[in-house]
Amino acid sequence: MPECQHQWEMTNIQFGFVAFEKCFHCNDLRTYFSAEDNPILGDKYREGDHYWSRVENAQTFTFDLKCTQCNHTEKFNDLMGLLHCTGCLPDCEVEIMRNKLEAEKTWIVVGFGFLPQAKTEPIPPRKLDMLTDYFNQRRDTSRSKIKVVPFNLIGDLARCKGDFIHDVGMLSLEPPPGRKSPF
Amino acid sequence: MTTQDLIEKIGLKALSKFEHRDVDGVFVSDMLSDVMAGAKSSNLWLTIQTHKSIVPAANLVDVSAVIITSGKEVPQDTVDLASKYNIAILSSDLATFELVGRLYGLGLGSK
Repeated sequence: MPECQHQWEMTNIQFGFVAFEKCFHCNDLRTYFSAEDNPILGDKYREGDHYWSRVENAQTFTFDLKCTQCNHTEKFNDLMGLLHCTGCLPDCEVEIMRNKLEAEKTWIVVGFGFLPQAKTEPIPPRKLDMLTDYFNQRRDTSRSKIKVVPFNLIGDLARCKGDFIHDVGMLSLEPPPGRKSPF
Repeated sequence: MTTQDLIEKIGLKALSKFEHRDVDGVFVSDMLSDVMAGAKSSNLWLTIQTHKSIVPAANLVDVSAVIITSGKEVPQDTVDLASKYNIAILSSDLATFELVGRLYGLGLGSK
């Protein structure tokens, strides 16, 4: 029997927040999804050697992809978000790939998992390819395409100035004023 | 119906450089997450948000155009990024509610 040529649709959509917490003791960053209604900024607590403080909340959603042909469902609860490459680091592999693929009208977005787990267990390429297929299946690919790439292609995360496609500050109706990279 | 038809019929102002394309349906939201979860390819996206993060979201979903309502001023960096991605940024002085009414009158609805 031939393998299913999956046709993806979003399912199990849940709106909430990505919380960014920073340890002011060791500067570690961690992120997680929260379905709470009213996220609190500046919430501080101690956990072992860490002193965590919530530094940012971004409205977002979680979802799974379901194949409309075979009903296979792939969970994406490990996806923190998608990052738009701004071309900030000329020697970054994402930027090199972006320059190369732009000529073919293929636009790159970087798939991020939640930190710190994503550093040791990045979202598998198989799942990023599913996301790529999902975005391309719903668009006219003769005009342009999307490619989702893993975040470990970013050479220096600390210097990355890519923009998360998140609703940070969206409720203020003002552009985020010189938003600092959380890394 | 195309983006060019809409510009002529409703008097929208084109801010970015783009190729005209077919329009199919309308999606109204001021949240990127809502758009990425719910908007469909070729939809018009109506919003009052103007910062440049709307461009990659519009590109991901492949909307036919973003219409900034209520005469909000759009920063130049948003317009420049949209032009780079061939995303139509259109502007209207009409409030979102009134513009939705006009679009509905032209036969457009949610897709």
